[in-house]
Amino acid sequence: MTGTVVIALQRLRQQAAQSAWHLVCLPVAATCLFPLVWMVSSSLKTQRTVFTDYSLIPAVPHVENYARAWTQGRFGLYFLNSLGYTALIVTGVVACSALAAYAFSRFTFRGSGFFYKLLLSTMLIPIPGAFVALYILLNQMGLIDQGSGHWLARVGYILPQINGGLAFGIFILKPFFDGIPKELEESAEVDGCGVLGVFCHIMLPLAKPALGVVALLTSLAAWNEFLLAYLVFSRHELMPLQRGLLAFHGAHLTEYPLLMAGMVISILPIVAIYLVMQRTIIQGITAGAVKG
Amino acid sequence: MKASRRFLALFGSALMVGAAGCGKPAALAAQPLRVWHWMTDREAAFDELAKRYQQETGTRVRFELYAPSDIYVQKVRAAAQTDGLPEVYGVLGELRDLASFINAGHVLPLEAAMSANGNAWRSIFFPKALEVNTFARENPYGVAPGIYGVPLDVMNVQLFYNKPLLAKLGFDPNQPPDTWEAFLDAGRRAAAERLIGFVSGWAELWLIDCFATDYAIHEMGVKKVEATYRGKVPYTDPDWVRVLGRFAELRDSGMLAEGIVTIGNKRAEQLFANGQALFTFNGTWGVNVYQSMNPDLEYGVVMPPRTDPKRPMVTWGGAGSSFFVNAKSPRRDEAIAFLTWLTAEPQQRYLTEATQNIPANRAAAADLPGPLAAFADDMDQTVHPRLFSVQEESTVIEAFDKGIQSILIGEQTPEEVAARVQQTKQHEARQRAARAARQEQGHVVD
Repeated sequence: MTGTVVIALQRLRQQAAQSAWHLVCLPVAATCLFPLVWMVSSSLKTQRTVFTDYSLIPAVPHVENYARAWTQGRFGLYFLNSLGYTALIVTGVVACSALAAYAFSRFTFRGSGFFYKLLLSTMLIPIPGAFVALYILLNQMGLIDQGSGHWLARVGYILPQINGGLAFGIFILKPFFDGIPKELEESAEVDGCGVLGVFCHIMLPLAKPALGVVALLTSLAAWNEFLLAYLVFSRHELMPLQRGLLAFHGAHLTEYPLLMAGMVISILPIVAIYLVMQRTIIQGITAGAVKG
Repeated sequence: MKASRRFLALFGSALMVGAAGCGKPAALAAQPLRVWHWMTDREAAFDELAKRYQQETGTRVRFELYAPSDIYVQKVRAAAQTDGLPEVYGVLGELRDLASFINAGHVLPLEAAMSANGNAWRSIFFPKALEVNTFARENPYGVAPGIYGVPLDVMNVQLFYNKPLLAKLGFDPNQPPDTWEAFLDAGRRAAAERLIGFVSGWAELWLIDCFATDYAIHEMGVKKVEATYRGKVPYTDPDWVRVLGRFAELRDSGMLAEGIVTIGNKRAEQLFANGQALFTFNGTWGVNVYQSMNPDLEYGVVMPPRTDPKRPMVTWGGAGSSFFVNAKSPRRDEAIAFLTWLTAEPQQRYLTEATQNIPANRAAAADLPGPLAAFADDMDQTVHPRLFSVQEESTVIEAFDKGIQSILIGEQTPEEVAARVQQTKQHEARQRAARAARQEQGHVVD
């Protein structure tokens, strides 16, 4: 009898603690979600009602804003460009950082600690801070868009981003590889696997959650990038999706409903990626958190 | 064997990259004439004009847009360092930035082109628009005197007023207050009716500076303002204290929007467009903004009210945006030909219709609609600090504008602000003297 009461009390206490925690979390979740809801709501209003009608559900929703944003902002072209750039950048960052992180984790060579820290220190340099130097370098390599040909300019846009994403990828992946028991590699070697075989067949599958995190965060950065695009590209045909949003954001005049509709369109792929990879990403982040 | 294969592979890759980078340049004529700009809201109009120019002349022109403006500034600077500037471009920033581009040989002097055929090109522009792109003799930047830029449009900053609200407060909506006292009176009445009497984006220092410059010149004249910049007149002079006092009067009248020093211009524009404010202080671009936000808004435009009816009122303004020709481009003449076409009356009229700006071409501005006409009529009364014979130190300007903000929130009195600005001025003068002395010493040592 007493035992049942104690268990019931414990359960009640747990439930109360959980409810209190939810009460704390709810406003936090609301403040995170509100800007998104406001963005969708504003995308359905007119330029006039966006400042006068403060309701979240507009009386007359203007769904045609999405079609206008798509055509006026030339989103079709930019969307394809961004898809291509993001896919190549993510592939480059994941492949190179996984190889480098594995090397830093498993191979001992003179100055490995120094090089690892040196590489990580590059995370402190934002691309805008290196604008002029980067422009001069890319220009000398013929990777700046000068109006003729486009593949070299595209390479000039993709390479610095792969380079910029490497430090973060290595930072996430190296501790992950450190935590994988060496015995697994040894048994694979006994079975006849070479270094590359061990990396591909043993390490990469085990590092999937961390690779997922690197892939998601890199795709987020690549998808939202536009500063480097302005530096490298001259022609709008080569520009990424974020360039389309500028069509609605003038020096003096901003067309808010179209801008918001454009932003909704632009975040959809990232939301889709997150939903598809949700489980892997959460595993990766929690595993990283445990490893510290 | 393996090592030699690797070496060959590396060498081959390097060769391919090198070959790709050293391709034969395409024939110049086949390339479009490139124009770099940051004016996002004119993109469609510029593209249309480029199309028309190609139809008329066969020359392709491509407008390349980079925004926001700080990104544009970085791009232009980076391109200048690699001699990669396009044929035509804009320079954003202060006069000294433009001067550095000119001194580095990136800007083509246009004096000859403007003066050709009996000043044919020069004479089409508002003189004020050209002055902003002109360097006088013995300018402090060491730039050879002459015209360097082609103005595209002109602007000035004036007082917008809401006609129905003015009528509601008992004023004739077609006779807005033209004296300072009447202006304050209208503001007080608006406050009594729980309306916003006056709003402006005074979180942005430049807009405060426009208003203050207007009244400084109105109350004491350009000569005395320049004398202050030269250090001959202190900011504690009664005229300057009176100019600062105007902001205390605005504050005390209760007409200012709540938290005006935290309101950016976009927010101020929303408040005025929604009919919540009686007056706003804004630039020519406001016409386009209000049209877009509230096409039914009934408003008028008037010069800021005079504090002294005997003195002329001036307003801050001049060239809105200008284009410059790359002096290092082999297609300089084509660039000049294009800019001549772009600033001719038909093209300027089209730009005005499409973008609601006042054209730099006088003839195209002759019959503008509604409020734009009011702005255009007052172009001859504009002033721009860039045209003064001496420029104030940016730290002093900042201390002055921030001081006004502190007056507006009741933190400091006009006298206190004047004293603080004067301290900054003296500090700057000492610093400059020390720098000059160090340079002099270095010179002697050398």
